[in-house]
Parts: sequence; C-alpha cells; structure tokens
Amino acid sequence: MSSATAVVVAAPSAWKRATRSGGLAVGLALALTMVVIAIAAPWIAPFDPNDQDVLLKLEPPSAAHLFGTDAFGRDVLSRVIYGARISLFVGALATLAGVVIGTVIGVVSGYLGGVIDRLITAATDVLLSFPQLIMGLMLVAVLGANLFNLILAIAITAVPAFIRVARASTLAMKERDFVDACRALGFGDPRIMFLHVLPNIMDEVVVMASLWFAAAIRTESTLAFIGLGVPPPTATWGGIIRDGFDNLLDASWLSIFPSLAILTIMIALNLIGDGLRDASDPRAPQ
Amino acid sequence: MLRFVVNRLLLALPTLWAVLTLVFVLVRVVPGDPTIVVLGDQATPAARAALRERLGLDKPLVAQYADFMLQIARGDLGKSLVTNRPITTDVAAVLPYTIELTIAALIIGSVIGIPLGVVAAQRRDGFVDWLARIVSLAGLSFPAFVSGILLLIAFAVELRWFPVISTVTGTDPMQRLRALALPAINLGLIMVAYVTRVTRSGMLKALGDDYVRTARAKGLPKRIVVWRHALRNVLIPIVTVIGLYLGVLIGNAVLTEIVFNRPGLGKLIVSALNQRDYSLLQGLMVVTALAVVVANILTDLTYGLVDPRVKAG
Repeated sequence: MSSATAVVVAAPSAWKRATRSGGLAVGLALALTMVVIAIAAPWIAPFDPNDQDVLLKLEPPSAAHLFGTDAFGRDVLSRVIYGARISLFVGALATLAGVVIGTVIGVVSGYLGGVIDRLITAATDVLLSFPQLIMGLMLVAVLGANLFNLILAIAITAVPAFIRVARASTLAMKERDFVDACRALGFGDPRIMFLHVLPNIMDEVVVMASLWFAAAIRTESTLAFIGLGVPPPTATWGGIIRDGFDNLLDASWLSIFPSLAILTIMIALNLIGDGLRDASDPRAPQ
Repeated sequence: MLRFVVNRLLLALPTLWAVLTLVFVLVRVVPGDPTIVVLGDQATPAARAALRERLGLDKPLVAQYADFMLQIARGDLGKSLVTNRPITTDVAAVLPYTIELTIAALIIGSVIGIPLGVVAAQRRDGFVDWLARIVSLAGLSFPAFVSGILLLIAFAVELRWFPVISTVTGTDPMQRLRALALPAINLGLIMVAYVTRVTRSGMLKALGDDYVRTARAKGLPKRIVVWRHALRNVLIPIVTVIGLYLGVLIGNAVLTEIVFNRPGLGKLIVSALNQRDYSLLQGLMVVTALAVVVANILTDLTYGLVDPRVKAG
C-alpha cells in the first residue's frame, strides 16, 4: 500500500524534473521528425536513392539536388533520407534485442543469486571490459556483413550493459516488502521476477535503452564507414560518409550532410536519455 | 605501495585469462568453413586442407585452445596469413603511434575537461555551465569518424592549417606534433565530454557537502576550498570515468587513425579486414584485450595515488 502511495506522489515531480530543462522535449521532437522522415522516405525523397546519372557526377548542392550528387551521380538528399531507415531500424532492433536478453538474464541473475549469479557477473565483467566498437567490428568481420549479422553483433555488444543494470536494480528490489509479500502468498519465482520485480526496474532499463539506442546507431554508422555495414548500393549514413571521404578534397558536401543527420539523431537521443535519467533519479544534479 | 601493485597485478590474471578465452571463442564462431572465408569458394580442397593445417584448425578444439594460450604466454601472436611476418613485429612498429595518440587525448581531456567541469559547477546555469553542457553533449554525440572528417574539412581542406594526411615522417618533433595535433584534438574532444560531465556533477554534489561549508566557515578562500578540498574528493570518480572510457578511447583511436591516415593499430585492423587476414585479426584482438587490462590496472594504481585510503585498505 505504502509503495503505491509513493508512486502516485513521485509521478508528477518526475515529469516536472524531466521537462524542466526542455532538453527532453527538444530531443523527442528531433527524434520523432527523424522517424517520420524514415517512414515517409518513398514519398518525400525527390529521387530514387539508387538512380545513377553519370553526367551528374559529384555535382555541388543546387536547386535540383539540394545536397548535391555523389560519384555515381546519385542524389545525396534522397540517399540521406533513405539512410535514416537503415540507421533507425538497425539501432532500434539491436537495442530491443539487447534490452530483452540482457534484462531477462540480469533479473534472473540478481533474483536467484548463488553460483549462477557469480558466473553471470564474471562473464559480464569480461564482456564489458572489451571495447564495444572493436567487439562489434570483430563480430561482423567473422560473421559477415549483412543486415541480420549487423543487428546481431550490435545486440551482443549491448547485452552485458543491460545485464548489469537489471541485476543491480533487482538486487535492491528483492529486499523490498512487496517481494516478501509475494513469497508469503505462495507466488513462484518466475511470477515474482517477471510480473513484480521487472515492472519496478523498468525505468532504469528505459533510461539505459535510450542511451544505447544512440550507441547502436553510432556503431552501425561506424561499421558502415569502415566497410562492414549493409552492403552497397543500399544507402546508409556511414556508407555515404565513406563515399564522401574518398572524395574529400573535391566534394566535401558528400560527407557533411550525412554527418549532420547522424549528429541530429545522436543529440536527440542523448537529450532524451539525459531527460529520462533526471526524471528517474531525483538526486541527480541538474 | 609495492604490495598494492603486486596484488593488483595478480588480480588481473583471471581477467586476462577470461578476455583471451573470449577472443579464442569469438574467432572460432565463424559459421561454415573459415578456410573458404579466407581463400574464397574457388579454392581446391588441397589448398584448404593445407591452410587448415597451417592454422592448426585440424586439431581438436581443446588442443587449439592450449596452443593459443601457450603461444601468448611466450609473447608470440603468430604469423600474418598474408605477409607471413610475425604479428608482434607489425604491432610493435605501429603501437607507439596509437599510444602517443591516446596519451595526447587523455591530456587534452583532463586539461580542458576538469577546469571546465569545476567552473561550470561553481557558476551553475551561467555562461560557462551552458558551454560545458554543449561541449559534453557534442562530444558524446559525435561518432569519432564524423568529428574527424568535419575537423579535416575545416582545418586541413579549407583553412590548410594542418596536413590532410597525418603520416609521420622524419624525427623532427615539430612536424610530429603538427601531424599529431588534429587527430589528438579529435580524440581529446570526446574525452573532454566525459571528463567535464563527471567533474561537473561530482563538484555540484561536493560543493553542497558539510566539509566544504566548514572550510568556508573557518575563513579559507573560496579558491582553495574549491580546487584543493572539493576537487580532491571528486578526483576518484574522475579517474574512474577516465579508466572506464579508456576502452572507448582505444576504439575511437582506431577510427581516428583511419580518418587521418595515421599509422597505428587502426590501419592494421582495416588492412587485416580487407585482406581477410584472420591470424592478424586475432592477434590484434589479443593486443586490444591486453591494452584494456593494462588500462584497468593503471586506473586502480592511480586510485592509490589520488586517495591514500585505497592503498591502506
């Protein structure tokens, strides 16, 4: 009863904390715009992203091609618009997979404790000690670069972080009275873990997820830049920057526009993550 | 102090073993036949069998694992599949460049990040605070290759202040520094973001603590209280963050080297990927794993320096 009352009291102030700086609103607006652009790509892109025109190679920005054209004469604006689809799709799916797998393992590990918990914690520490980018790079290199492997590799790099967060929150939560009450009522472990503990740790998982969404998009674009992304001719932001990098001296716009696109979504997601964190932690300095 | 160092080194051994095991497993999760990945599907069965034997893939997994561990214990990373040179030679040739870049970034990160965070916390919501927030948001948002390319376009292509290709030639220290400048600024800006953030939030909390009020109440100048008393107590989280993000820094150093065409582990990784040189790739993963373990040890040793209680405890 007392915990229910606490939630009701805390809710408005959390909202107030989240919206105080305005960062969360700006972040949400930017991110939503990106999502709309990605979904509406076929209707708003002025050209087919893969249509080549050899007579229009490396044209600087003009009224016909607002972001210019690339080395194959393809419209960069259309490619940047379509690139949003890959980045957001890979980022969202990889984060979702990382959240689901990591959180389930983390809750089980924290709740059950004992040998399983020690083993999982040790494995998590080792995985976390390896640079995420290098790990993703190696995984895609050995698995082969395609859409599925890319999502899989990025998800694998996300799992240990979610195990750690979910485990730590579960450890704190399982000492609470309502968990004892559940046990006294004779509820089984799975029911307590997933119907009672899990909903109570979700706010921390969601904060982490918004920051990891940004990390996943960063990893995807980085891998595409190195040449380990979704294979060409599919338009990806990292891939367009890679094309631009090859023509840096005479066509710098090719790198600049997709860079701005990546930057916008990263800033949006970081603002959302920070806003949500401030909301979930009343002690965090603002 | 010596006992603390020895203890810490012994503690690192299990981690090292686990990370090396992870590398071994990762390289062997290749679906299908790795010899086809290396030689292509047109390779004759005889050529594939020969490669299989050369890589030791014909042995049982346990024997492969034992070979792998023993080899590393001897300080041997094997030979490159493409050049047949010992991998340690290739790594030793470029490692100083990566270390030089990482240290330069750490220095930039600390020298700018710590004062920026302290001043931002002191003048909360003031101009410096907003600047600090924007700098840290930008630093956290830029993928290293994006910021690198934008820096290149601005300072090398347009303004021509720095060379476009940061290849280090000769031993002239000024030239070396000029080639290091842009890559180090690129990597350093990311570090500035992390350091500013943790310094600012740590200082905000510390400035509200009782000991700060006591120090001020007994008449100590604000400057001394902020920089000597409060900052000293925030150093532990700062060192933690720097240590934690050394891994991120190593990953970003690789990207920075690629963008600025600078010798280092990054270019070695890319050439290993392009030539499907799996021995070299495995060797580079081992080097990265070692670097992370060493970074963790150094972080813990720094704790001992900034906080005497750590050493005693």
